[in-house]
Amino acid sequence: MQSSSKRYYRVGIDIGGTFTDIVLLDQDGNILTKKISSTPDDYGRAISQGMKSVLEENGIDPSEVEEVVHATTVATNAVLEGKGAKTALITTEGFRDILEFRRVRVPELYNLDYVKPKPLVPRQLRLEVKERIGAKGQIRTALDESSVRAAAQRIIDTDVQAVAVCLLHSYTNPVHEQGIKDILSKMLPPHIFVCYSHEVLPEIREYERTSTTVVNAFLGPVMNSYLTNLKQRLEETGIQKSFHVMQSAGGRMSLDAAIAKPAYLVESGPAAGVIAAAHIARKAGMLEVITLDIGGTTAKTAIVENGEPTRTSEYEIGAGINISSKLVKGAGYAIKLPFIDVSEIGAGGGSHIRFDKGGLLKVGPESAASVPGPVCYDTGGETATLTDAILALGYLNPGHLVGGALTLNAEKAVKAIEEQVCTILDKPLPEAALGVFNVAVANMVRAVKSVSTYRGRDPRDYALIAFGGNGPIVATAIAHELGMKQVLVPPNPGVLSSHGLLVADNTHELVKSFSGLTNEIEINDVRRIFDDLAGKAIDALIEEGFERGKTSVQNLADLRYAGQAFELTVPLDNDGEPIECEQMASAFHDEHFRTYSHKAEHEPVEIVNLRVIAKVAVNDIEPPLTETKAAAPKKPKIRQAYFGASSGSQETPIVGRSDLVGIEMTGPVIVEEYDSTIVVPPEWTVSVDAANNVLISRKSDGPHEN
Amino acid sequence: MKIDLVTLEIIQNALGAIADELALVIMRSAYSNIVRDSMDYSTAVFDHKGQTIAQGLTTPVHLGSFPDAMQKMTSLYEGNIFPGDIFIFNDPYGSGGMHLPDFYIIKPVFVNETLEGFVGTLAHQSDVGGIAPGGMGVYASEIYQEGLRIPTLKLFDAGVPNDAIFRLIEKNTREPVNVMGDMRAQLAACNNGGQALQALIESHGVKKFRLYMEELHDYAERLIRAEISELPDGTFYFEDCLDGMGEDPETIWLKVNLTIAGDQVLIDWAGTSDQVNYAINATFPTTNAMSYLAVRCAIGGSIPNCEGYMRAITATAPVGSLVNPVEPAPCGARGITCFRMFDALLGAFAQILPDRIPAANEGGSSAPHIAGRDHNNKPFMASGGLMGAWGGSMARDGQEGISNPAANLGNTPIELMETRQPVEITKYSFVQNSGGPGRHRGGAALQRGYRLLADEAKLIMRSDRRKVKPYGLSDGLPGTPSWNIINHGSEQKLLPVCPTASVPMVKGDEFIHIQAGAGGFGDPLEREPEKIVVDVLNELITPAYANDVYGVVINEGEIDLGATEIKRRELKQTGIYETAYMAHFYDEIGIKPI
Repeated sequence: MQSSSKRYYRVGIDIGGTFTDIVLLDQDGNILTKKISSTPDDYGRAISQGMKSVLEENGIDPSEVEEVVHATTVATNAVLEGKGAKTALITTEGFRDILEFRRVRVPELYNLDYVKPKPLVPRQLRLEVKERIGAKGQIRTALDESSVRAAAQRIIDTDVQAVAVCLLHSYTNPVHEQGIKDILSKMLPPHIFVCYSHEVLPEIREYERTSTTVVNAFLGPVMNSYLTNLKQRLEETGIQKSFHVMQSAGGRMSLDAAIAKPAYLVESGPAAGVIAAAHIARKAGMLEVITLDIGGTTAKTAIVENGEPTRTSEYEIGAGINISSKLVKGAGYAIKLPFIDVSEIGAGGGSHIRFDKGGLLKVGPESAASVPGPVCYDTGGETATLTDAILALGYLNPGHLVGGALTLNAEKAVKAIEEQVCTILDKPLPEAALGVFNVAVANMVRAVKSVSTYRGRDPRDYALIAFGGNGPIVATAIAHELGMKQVLVPPNPGVLSSHGLLVADNTHELVKSFSGLTNEIEINDVRRIFDDLAGKAIDALIEEGFERGKTSVQNLADLRYAGQAFELTVPLDNDGEPIECEQMASAFHDEHFRTYSHKAEHEPVEIVNLRVIAKVAVNDIEPPLTETKAAAPKKPKIRQAYFGASSGSQETPIVGRSDLVGIEMTGPVIVEEYDSTIVVPPEWTVSVDAANNVLISRKSDGPHEN
Repeated sequence: MKIDLVTLEIIQNALGAIADELALVIMRSAYSNIVRDSMDYSTAVFDHKGQTIAQGLTTPVHLGSFPDAMQKMTSLYEGNIFPGDIFIFNDPYGSGGMHLPDFYIIKPVFVNETLEGFVGTLAHQSDVGGIAPGGMGVYASEIYQEGLRIPTLKLFDAGVPNDAIFRLIEKNTREPVNVMGDMRAQLAACNNGGQALQALIESHGVKKFRLYMEELHDYAERLIRAEISELPDGTFYFEDCLDGMGEDPETIWLKVNLTIAGDQVLIDWAGTSDQVNYAINATFPTTNAMSYLAVRCAIGGSIPNCEGYMRAITATAPVGSLVNPVEPAPCGARGITCFRMFDALLGAFAQILPDRIPAANEGGSSAPHIAGRDHNNKPFMASGGLMGAWGGSMARDGQEGISNPAANLGNTPIELMETRQPVEITKYSFVQNSGGPGRHRGGAALQRGYRLLADEAKLIMRSDRRKVKPYGLSDGLPGTPSWNIINHGSEQKLLPVCPTASVPMVKGDEFIHIQAGAGGFGDPLEREPEKIVVDVLNELITPAYANDVYGVVINEGEIDLGATEIKRRELKQTGIYETAYMAHFYDEIGIKPI
């Protein structure tokens, strides 16, 4: 491959609760990575220090950094820890408690001690104004400006830093919210962050719209100072180029857009991981994949169809870890914005092993996290964890992890499993450890099912792409359970999210409520709205500095059967031809059948929202291809590893990724890397492709065939 | 074959996933607000005998009702269940249902031609005909007035749909689109879940799966018996009541003896009022369901949702009583009796577990239905249960704006309701100076107003807790009463707590429901003054209320400690705070009690 004349780098930075990952991608697609401890008291510090050292270590001049893309947990943590701004809400008279009523339902049954999340705006700052818009957008009571001025005065008097404005039915007629905007912009000092529900989320359902607007306001001042400060710090290190931020839906947005709509950032890290996985899978020719991201405390899954991750707008921030979060809502703060549909359960390497009162073995959701850590870390953890069981099975290097940076105490781990698990199960060490492993896998299988079978998708039609520190260890076991035949482990699986930042498209998404039946509406009304939204979305991208010619637009509609209460978002690809009514209806019938295995073609289809996503595809660089010449044969190290009663304990070759170039090995094999370990059990084969992905394939059919 | 506890955990997890999948398919593809937003439906998975082995995280009241229904179905159709069959029923008498709106749709699952299990769904249908729209009119006097009764029938016979049943149902509801749509969602869930259960059983093998299901029941039973054993033995009595029906209500008593005997719980309803000629009778399966629910809430702990745990709980009730009525007692609005059974049982448990059980909650969902025909002669119905507030407990204040733990239903979005129905919601908020005072106060009452935009409509209302308020505990005071008001122009009309006829409304009329506030826990005069200041700032109580009820004197936002001490001593002696809070409540809502 020919090198470009000018050297430049693009940088992805992902802050997690424990680690901050930095990835540098050069003009030829070469990757440099750096993992440093996060600094939760001031997250920006780790970034600027990390950037400085990675530039120095590699002799890179700051001026060679072309762009920086950032994913952050700061927004999420601000909500979880209640550390957002002092926020007020202005709402319709008679309805200030909508925020606190929520949807009333609680996420736990049989629990009389349940405490619901505290509202982000206390009742005393939920201010009512006299006005009322009707369901059809008609003005039932005119806006009483004196009540708005009274609210504004109260805001000034109480030292409020952020204001959310959400009136009933403002999605259909924003005139009163606009009237409030006129008054507030004159009365409030400029440092007070104000946002309006018809701008943040012009969609029906008052609680979700109010909650989303409130979260946005609550985060506004915090994210403004964080992002501005971070930009300044990067500039101090000499980096002057464009700065972008990842959205929860997987696209990138400009710094200014992020500051105005911080609610779009809350799941940016996990989104980046899915984007990277989808990108790598697409390059490898796999368009239908399920992503599996397992770290220390959780397992996250998402589904990618036709190369694109699926999305949802049913999200709650701070809802905890719950596979049923979509079923049982109320545990967190609703944000009804587009998110990549990630399912999460509390099972990771640090998950505690315990027995309940009836004697059943449980793994997680309690976790040793990184402090005190699993027993084998020898940093104070005493409760046996999944990682200790994995070590006891022989899957992990008994001496160290992360290329030697983390030493392990295997003896302690084995002792913990023997004392805490073997004695109770009355089983020898490897069998007991495998029991722990299988229970954890069963939990994780539930996460994979929730993005596939729960939505009418058969996991056997998908490949599994595994990353995170622990994903590649359990991936084949999960694939085996679900009858999946292929597993892919990308290069640098431990820092994949940061990589995703550099391959995500720049996007701008707009939505508008639209009510009508596909067999009754005037199609030109729909086309006009799509055109209008597309124009605005493209303008926003141009404002960010992109060329009009590089933008593309996707139209989607939220549709349902008339009378049905839940919509499906259906893409309306029409190869540039104008959209037709029948086309919308038939796309919906198909998607409904696919998802729920039933449809009602004789019934009218109702439009709820129209959506437009404008995007500019990121400058795509092909990574350097690996030489496909077979590596010089060398004698691999051998370790005993246990693969179940039928296979027993086996002498297992330990290899590196580069050892697999040009050859295919049959399991058992363990691939050890800097930031991850890949387990290839018997009955599976492993190889490396030209893009340096590890491919693991099943030789024979597993269980669960039907 | 030896039981491997690891395998048992893995199978249990897989069963839970199937029950959740059933629930998710219904939620996302259902039509009515009752299913989609209130989530008034449930799902379950059963073994080959029809015993529950897993349940979706849905509606607690429903979950304990499956065992009776499944037992009736499997004995009725013994030897006559074939692949492709799907059953339907709703009848409280003979089929084991609870009230007619609840449609049970159950699909048997076969492996190698033998019956190995079932998947089941229960959804509250928005209307099943009968005397009152919504099927919950309290003024039915016989079940024959409550709508379409469906005995246990095959809705699909060996894979062939029984069109006659579909057409009969469609013709017997005021809401055919919603009902047919929700039934389709139930059927889709059964088909998806049925395949998943079949695959699970096949992967483990029939013999092994059956063995493990026996063990799962035993395991759940072991768990619950271990918990019950930790409670002191003895019999604990509690009584609670319903205000009664209509203009001149007669108190209806729910009396319970709760006995802890070793690792067994016995619940006896002897002394409870006789069944009534109004639709609030709770058939015995319902009474069983409430028993299981209350025990589980009281003892806590995570116990698998399978039938084995129910072996440790036995309920009895006199035949012909409100909680074990005989045909043809109507039961459409039986929910209110369920809630009161729950309150009575918790009141009994509070004597055993004073640190865990809270004072009484709001008393259960209030169920207004405003129904009529719009300008195009199309039927409309604005409904949706209203909740709620929790009682204060030893640990904390009662919360407001939260679902009753026995029902756990959601509210319907106001904007959706106004888009679809000719009503306008005039307010939806907490009521100032409501709820029972206490060291930990009860949750504040809610109020909601509805203005009719159509020419005329009928209001059907089910509520309670006016005469007899939600109880307080440990010197906490009872909650505040519930009221139903119609504003017709400047004229105000007060309705009974549970009207025995539909109430006419005309265009522009406003109906306001004020729900009961929850009971307080502990002596109000011991409430921390700082908490009272916060309540005042949040406009949950007025400064005058803080003074007259809690004896806390606030001057310019600051607590006057000296004056507070004096005031509290005075209140302690006179005891007038025990009635003062009611006066403040009535001042706030602007009506005079009759």
